[in-house]
Amino acid sequence: MNSKESCRSELRIAIRQLSDRCLYTASKWAAEQLIGIEQDPANFTPSNTRFQWGSSSIRRRFRTNEITSTPIAGVSYVSTPVMEEDDAVDGDFYLLAKSYFDCREYRRAAHVLRDQTGKKSVFLRCYALYLAGEKRKEEEVIELEGPLGKSDSVNRELVSLERELSTLRKNGSIDPFGLYLYGLVLKEKGSENVARTVLVESVNSYPWNWNAWSELQSLCTTIDTLNSLNLNNHWMKDFFLASAYQEIRMHSESLAKYEYLQGTFGYSNYIQAQIAKAQYSLREFQQVETIFEELLRNDPYRVEDMDMYSNVLYANECSSALSYLAHRVFMTDKYRPESCCIIGNYYSLKGQHEKSVMYFRRALKLNKNYLSAWTLMGHEYIEMKNTPAAVDAYRRAIDINQCDYRAWYGLGQAYEMMGMPFYALHYFRKSVFLQPNDSRLWISMAHCYETDQLRMLEEAIKCYRRAANCNDREAIALHQLAKLHYELGRPEEAAFYYKKDLERMEAEEREGPNMVEALLYLATYYKTQKRFEEAEVYCTRLLDFTGPEKETAKSLLRGMRTTQSGFPSMDVEHFSP
Amino acid sequence: MAGIVKPPGEFSITPHKVSVCILLQIYAPSVQISLPFPFASVAQHNRLGLFLLALTKSCDDILEPKLDELISQLREVFGVLNPRFVDHLTTRLSALSSPDDLFNFFTQMRRILGGPESCVLEDEQVILDPASNLGMFLRRCILAFNLLAFEGVCHLLTNIGVYCKEALSSCASYETTCFEDSSSNLEAFPEYENMDLENFVFKKVTEEIEARKRASERVSFHLHAPKALFDLVEDIEAPADPKSKHSDKVGEASPYVHPPNYALKEFEPNSGIFLRTNWQIQGYLQEQADALEKNGSSFSLNAFELILRQLHKLAPELHRVHFLRYLNSLCHDDYFAALENLHRYFDYSAGTEGIDFVPPASGSNSFGRYEIALLFLGMMHFQFGHPKQALEVLTEAVRVSQQLSNDTCLAYTLAAICNLLSEIGVSNTAGILGSSFSPLTSIGISLSVQQQLFVLLRGSLKRAESLKLKRLVASNHLAMAKFDLTHVQRPLVSFGPKASMKLRTCPTNVCKELRLSSHLISEFGFKSSTMTTDGAFSTAWLKNLQKPLGSAILSQENGSGSNENAFQFCVQPSSIPGSVLQLIGSSYLLRATAWELYGSAPLARINALVYATCFTDASSSSDAALAYVKLIQHLAVFRGYKEAFAALKIAEEKFLSVSKSRILILKLQLLHERALHRGHLKLAQQVCDELGVLASSVTGVDMELKTEASLRHARTLLAANQYSEAAAVAHSLFCMCYKFNLQVENATVLLLLAEVHKRSGNAVLGLPYALASLSFCQSFNLDLLKASATLTLAELWLSLGSNHAKRALSLIQGALPMILGHGGLELCARAYIAEAKCYLSDPSFSVSENSEVVLDPLSQASVELQVLEYHELAAETFYLMAIVFHKLGQLEEREEAANSFKKHMMALENPLDDEDPLFNVL
Repeated sequence: MNSKESCRSELRIAIRQLSDRCLYTASKWAAEQLIGIEQDPANFTPSNTRFQWGSSSIRRRFRTNEITSTPIAGVSYVSTPVMEEDDAVDGDFYLLAKSYFDCREYRRAAHVLRDQTGKKSVFLRCYALYLAGEKRKEEEVIELEGPLGKSDSVNRELVSLERELSTLRKNGSIDPFGLYLYGLVLKEKGSENVARTVLVESVNSYPWNWNAWSELQSLCTTIDTLNSLNLNNHWMKDFFLASAYQEIRMHSESLAKYEYLQGTFGYSNYIQAQIAKAQYSLREFQQVETIFEELLRNDPYRVEDMDMYSNVLYANECSSALSYLAHRVFMTDKYRPESCCIIGNYYSLKGQHEKSVMYFRRALKLNKNYLSAWTLMGHEYIEMKNTPAAVDAYRRAIDINQCDYRAWYGLGQAYEMMGMPFYALHYFRKSVFLQPNDSRLWISMAHCYETDQLRMLEEAIKCYRRAANCNDREAIALHQLAKLHYELGRPEEAAFYYKKDLERMEAEEREGPNMVEALLYLATYYKTQKRFEEAEVYCTRLLDFTGPEKETAKSLLRGMRTTQSGFPSMDVEHFSP
Repeated sequence: MAGIVKPPGEFSITPHKVSVCILLQIYAPSVQISLPFPFASVAQHNRLGLFLLALTKSCDDILEPKLDELISQLREVFGVLNPRFVDHLTTRLSALSSPDDLFNFFTQMRRILGGPESCVLEDEQVILDPASNLGMFLRRCILAFNLLAFEGVCHLLTNIGVYCKEALSSCASYETTCFEDSSSNLEAFPEYENMDLENFVFKKVTEEIEARKRASERVSFHLHAPKALFDLVEDIEAPADPKSKHSDKVGEASPYVHPPNYALKEFEPNSGIFLRTNWQIQGYLQEQADALEKNGSSFSLNAFELILRQLHKLAPELHRVHFLRYLNSLCHDDYFAALENLHRYFDYSAGTEGIDFVPPASGSNSFGRYEIALLFLGMMHFQFGHPKQALEVLTEAVRVSQQLSNDTCLAYTLAAICNLLSEIGVSNTAGILGSSFSPLTSIGISLSVQQQLFVLLRGSLKRAESLKLKRLVASNHLAMAKFDLTHVQRPLVSFGPKASMKLRTCPTNVCKELRLSSHLISEFGFKSSTMTTDGAFSTAWLKNLQKPLGSAILSQENGSGSNENAFQFCVQPSSIPGSVLQLIGSSYLLRATAWELYGSAPLARINALVYATCFTDASSSSDAALAYVKLIQHLAVFRGYKEAFAALKIAEEKFLSVSKSRILILKLQLLHERALHRGHLKLAQQVCDELGVLASSVTGVDMELKTEASLRHARTLLAANQYSEAAAVAHSLFCMCYKFNLQVENATVLLLLAEVHKRSGNAVLGLPYALASLSFCQSFNLDLLKASATLTLAELWLSLGSNHAKRALSLIQGALPMILGHGGLELCARAYIAEAKCYLSDPSFSVSENSEVVLDPLSQASVELQVLEYHELAAETFYLMAIVFHKLGQLEEREEAANSFKKHMMALENPLDDEDPLFNVL
């Protein structure tokens, strides 16, 4: 990792450049990372920091060229020269256009810049046009809802933008920002391969534009495409890879990357949130909760990613914490899909499913492609026993993202509820394919095989075995395995699994009916195997429990004693006369 | 379903509809406009009305025509010499320049509707009845316009602008060319004139690259022949010139090949592409589904997929598209895509959309009809040859439809199960039908598969009758007939008839069932059916336009003449829906099969002929291929291979892309047969192996093909004099047939075993087999096979010694009427030879006294065998003849016969394999 100082200075310049081009999200992201860089403890005194803030901004103006010329002291990293601004002084038109842009008057901004030829102006004009088109598109989506749900409204600027940008690219007079915009346009038009090339070009020549990276990431849906990218080694690439790994469900790889990045960007909220996301996918809810608590302490008005936090709170059934979160987010920004989703979760936890559905719908109104809202809404419909609606909601989630194992799982559940276990198997198969290390999925699938209608017990056993192998938290699998083996008349296997289950329960200090069952089975099993000592151990343990099993254990013990004592007595009788 | 999407509206107003409205105004001018449009004749006026009707109804495409397409159609209908419609249309359209114009236009339109109270009719005035088709259309347009918000009106206006701009720019150039080259270059112009050429080309190129990539990515998964793949892709991109579209439509040979340039046409929101009305699209999809079912494999997978994808993009809430995609991938054996699309379709539609045979539920529950999904999934598994899964799914379907009391679905599911059970070989029920078949436990598990099938069939038939599902009743009758054909009503206890009269199949039952199934047509014959979409009618009319109207253009003056020409369509195609015709057709096919089994060659041939001539249009191409196969087999047996191969060539051309397997199998069969006769044993073995490979490897699937292949294998071995191997193969085949209850095949196999023993010289061992085969033939009424078994029996007796010659002779003479009446060339020849041999070996028979008794059959046999090129038997015949001639002292004839004998022996020993052009085709 190259020095924090160089990262810092690169980011500072980048933020300025990005916000000059009105790439607000990217500059926001960069600024967050800038703050996230750990201060060297040596210079970390308040006065020093203040001085540093001031001086750096002053220094920057004078030392821009110097920084670009000196190679960055990284071992493995390719140095990317910071881009030089072509027009040192922004033209007046540019200033006017930028103010219009800042007021969201995109067309006006584009109009002002119509005859400007500077790269910056050209980019801003194109970008403004693009955004104007996007805005119009959003409006038209609502205006033009056709009889069959046709919403084919397309950004109408795309054609002309593509034409202009492609000529610019051919001439070689395009800057990385222009390339980013070109990639965006291409992606929107559906020519993904070209878009990928263009975006790679853009990030290779200007790596600090997070927007470009995230567009690129959305185009890499498989590991193969990801590996085929020809990317320069810049520290921004690590951010990209981490996020891309997460998207293609390589959670531990992604986690490793983020932890590595934390070495430099120790205070980055972004990285923390991403780590939380990865942990969430790995189902480490406790850790996620801690991370989010800390995040909220530092950044109380954060809305991003809070829906995930609400999911965790939901899973842990912390309704008061959830309501608190909902309230806070609601006050911060009511009309964010995340906010609606959190409220939906809250109502769901409270068992008010109709209200919950209403909020999920609102979230979907705000963002039609909000994946988790579709899935969660499906869950709600399942709770309301409205299976067709649930099926529909899940299916829409799948059509947005083929890899959403929760939606596949939900579909399976819905069909199982309708008494169509064989049909449901298709969906369960899909979900375990996507998430092979989730024991719950395997257990549901096994359950499906086990239903009265199918009774495909061998397959069920296979599934339970998979579930037992992937850290089955609820410890259902072992118990079921034992039971199934017993049903199929394989006492040894049954005993093996009961024993394993028992060991597990002992380790986790749990007691319950399962324990009794296991003990009882093992006692009788060892008795029939004539291994009386073991049988006695289990019987005596059973005596600690109340209920009918206690009596059974007693009678078992009695029976064993009589047989044990019976043999010698028989002998005695035999020999006595 | 989820209710998040707003329920689809019925009708939206588009530029094309505005055009139609303008034309409607021409057709029925309102009273206020006192200047009616000058029509050349009344006929022309009517023509316009029909044209408008066709425009609003036809369902030949998913997209509304663009203005230039509309104009070209107008020109075709009314001839180029009448440009006034077009002028009027274009001026009116271009006059619409502000929202207010639109408002005024629709207010005007309202006036041409005749109100119910307007009884004062002036002469010559056409009043549009508000309840008529066109009147309804107009009312819907007006309503849709009135419902539009101001934004909507603005959009309509811009769309009209684009719609006109595209067409009008080409109009000027069109005017000059239209006389020479009407309606061909229309589409080429607008695109080039409108946009920057360079960009257009660039876009097109990238598009193609993407499309090519996409196509290859997707397809390469399933096809292993990269060449075929490229052909496919090539196929889509090839027709760059718009002419091909027209030629496609006119071309009779490929009515289902879609003009692929639709598919690649980029649709942008501004380019004025609009879907037709919901109704029209449903009609289109329905037609395509029918076409897919009829001859699926002639559809280009990718071209149709592209259209569907486009449709899906334009109408994401039209879930039926997924169903069509399912059908498409099913037809092209793409299992994964089919599965995926099937699930998607039913997830979205919940089975409540578009499936025609389910009448709106009586007690409709709000929980969807997912049992239909199960039914379809079961049938899909069946189609792909996964009987086990199919049975599981169908069982689930039975359970669910019972739970939800969906009787219709239950009836269909039961029928599907029957079909499944009768098609695949299920040896034991316990594994599959056992505990899981809970709804049918009343039957009891102890029953055999056949008995279960019978009970199921009866149940399904009864259910269908009580639900009045006519087509299902008919097809159940057919299934019943099929069952009766090959099954004895009571279980076969062992070999041989114990109470012979009882243990027989009942041909009268078969006939009865077949007749009952044909009753269906009378149901549809009387009342005009509502099954055909009347859109098809309009579509046909519009398609007729594409046909060259040469006479109409030349004889413009007498309008009536040309009109007659165009009114041809008035002849309704048929009031009987295609599916009914298909069912009745298959009853004829089954009749042919039945007669084949019973041994009446002429009746079998006649039924196949009836099918081939009357039902090929309505039937699926695989059924049609089957009929052809039967006819060609008949030819081969009765006329020899030359004619059969000639016919095969024709059939191959006819079913070029379709049902390759059936024709391929037939070809292999013929080749094998001929190779055996000629003594090309290596070739025979090779062909036989090829045949075996065609069958699926799953047990119980493709039983027919499997038995056929191993039967042929055994025969090849026999021909190679490898008796023990042949017997072993035949024996294992017998075991398999017995296991899967293929009784008819058992008879054949037993006969083959007898033959093996006869050839190996163990006549005593052969006798029981021949007798067993005879008794099988008797129980199943297989008369021809019985005759041939009798012949074998006679041959066996004969080979036991000359003292059995009398008995053999009487056996042969008993069988002769059947053999000569219905047997093929080979069988007849064998009978003749055997007869001659009997006489010759009879010590009391003297050749010199009545030589004709021997010579006649022998010469007859020699002729037939030469046609067949059956060298071995022919040599034997000539040998016998030579002996007879020798005994008679006719030396010249003897030498001739001996020469022929030698020739055939030579041919047998040195097989010429130069002339096998057909085999090379493989």
